[in-house]
Amino acid sequence: MKYAFYPGCVSRGGCPELYPSAVKVAEKLGIELDELKSVGCTGAGVLPQNITDPINARTFAKAEQMGLPIMTICSTCQGVMAQANYRLKDDPNYRDKINREYLADEGLEYKGTTEVKHLLWVLFEDYGIERLQSLIQRPLKGLKVSPFYGCFLRRPPEAITPTKELNRRKSYLDELINILGAEMADISGKGKCCGFPILSANEENSLAMVAKHTGESKEKGADFMVTPCPLCHLNLDGNQSKAEAQTGKEIDLPILHLPQFVGLALGFDPNEMNLKRHIVSTANVESKVSMMS
Amino acid sequence: MQITFKVYRKDPEKDGKPGRSNYTVDLPDGATVLDGLLKIRDEIDSSLAFRASCLRGTCGDCMVRVNNSARLTCTAKVSAYTQKGPEISLDPLRNVPVNKDLVFDWDTFMWNKIKAVKPWLEGSETADGENIVPDAAMADLRKVMSCYQCGMCDEGCTVLPVDFNFLGPAALTKADRLAFDPRNKASREQVKIVEKPKGIWDCVHCYEADEHCPRNIEPTKRIVALRDKAFNSGISHEAVARHHASFAASVKESGWLDEGRLAVESEGLTNVKGLMKLLPTAAKALSRGKAPIPYMHAKRPDADKIKKIFEKAEQEEK
Repeated sequence: MKYAFYPGCVSRGGCPELYPSAVKVAEKLGIELDELKSVGCTGAGVLPQNITDPINARTFAKAEQMGLPIMTICSTCQGVMAQANYRLKDDPNYRDKINREYLADEGLEYKGTTEVKHLLWVLFEDYGIERLQSLIQRPLKGLKVSPFYGCFLRRPPEAITPTKELNRRKSYLDELINILGAEMADISGKGKCCGFPILSANEENSLAMVAKHTGESKEKGADFMVTPCPLCHLNLDGNQSKAEAQTGKEIDLPILHLPQFVGLALGFDPNEMNLKRHIVSTANVESKVSMMS
Repeated sequence: MQITFKVYRKDPEKDGKPGRSNYTVDLPDGATVLDGLLKIRDEIDSSLAFRASCLRGTCGDCMVRVNNSARLTCTAKVSAYTQKGPEISLDPLRNVPVNKDLVFDWDTFMWNKIKAVKPWLEGSETADGENIVPDAAMADLRKVMSCYQCGMCDEGCTVLPVDFNFLGPAALTKADRLAFDPRNKASREQVKIVEKPKGIWDCVHCYEADEHCPRNIEPTKRIVALRDKAFNSGISHEAVARHHASFAASVKESGWLDEGRLAVESEGLTNVKGLMKLLPTAAKALSRGKAPIPYMHAKRPDADKIKKIFEKAEQEEK
């Protein structure tokens, strides 16, 4: 089982704890990762489509040459690439135009066969939950966990294709919490926006969203929240203290990345999953986990 | 079948305090929620206030929250809401002043916001007074023109519950319809109006609005198109312009994003107060060994090739 790995900038920049955790977890699971290094940024929904569609087409063409599907560990990279891929697959004339105008210079061509999958989808659809269950060394019993998906793992529909997976994909994280032995502290905003995209345009609204989601999770008694999106993590973890200051209410909720959560159940030590690099202290999670093993 | 409707009540002419009335009515299979409301008003309580107009899902007037999700009562089948039991709750929309019962203030909810985007076209002067455009130029726009302003997208919006002054997807979709009209000579001005605070840059592009639109107009994609248009012709919102220019520059120069650089350049390199604001977060991140250091960013292999694509795409748009 092998993927062209697209880790995204945040997994080594703003959230440097994510990249090594994901690589360790993949290794333990026996998922081979061949990292795409000579490719560009997806545009993250910041740069316009007319610029990013050709850059993403180039990434898909490179993976196609390797004969591998792409695996991401970021909901934003996933969503932006999946939408671009949908446009390129859906409209052969558009794909031809991009190939001719942008990729032909390098002798590249995107034929429209590359799949882009987030690690969360890979676990359920390619790897198999039974196989994952057989490798659990530390069932996370007694931990209460809130799911937080990040918009692009749920919407828009063309980013979630194939359509038959759409509804089930909306609950993978909920299912995973149970599979890893933890208890779910469900929140109403688990599929909503974390506020990150408007941090520079309207910080107040952005922080209000952080306070709403993390506050509700805390009220439901969660030990932590888990997210497959490092941009959500940047806001929910990195700006939680600002959100506390804005609302005047203490929250103090650790936010874990998806691979860290899986890694703990696979028996990794919290240090190996780099929990100490988070802004909100994970000490309580660490002590509960260490009592389990 | 016997259905009990639990309906939100508020009468400004009495005490104005919100409450709830329960009405049980017998409805045939295939009945809609609106059939239930009409029956209640005709047979049980003539004081119950609600709106409805076209009765066929094309005007949007009858939108209320059915079991906590916004629906047009004229197309919402009762059977879809009674699987857990023969009870249905009906409420006015969230965050909007209520006039009476299920009737809420549409001016506050949507019309004032639509007025704010300058919802008319400034056509070019022509000799014969006509402004003919080829059919193909209107193809995509025709879909947006089918919006009947029901407001379901605003109800689904993620930003409005935290900030009701946000213009919202309905008004921004109206702005898109005008900004992309080939007859509009003030197209760039149209975009600038919605670039002001509370406009397109306040949208989180979460695509909730698209899920709520009953006509598949995809309001989020319209907002994204307005943002792309603004980017390609020079963003007029100062903070966003700094942020996007820095993002573009680092992708163009290195193939990927220099997050440290983005943080400082978004504030503005000469904005001492703004940069000071970053310090507490940066200090905390540094203490955890995770603050990306600005301008210490390695180029991706093939960065030159990515730059070439980037510049060609920019050129093409001009």
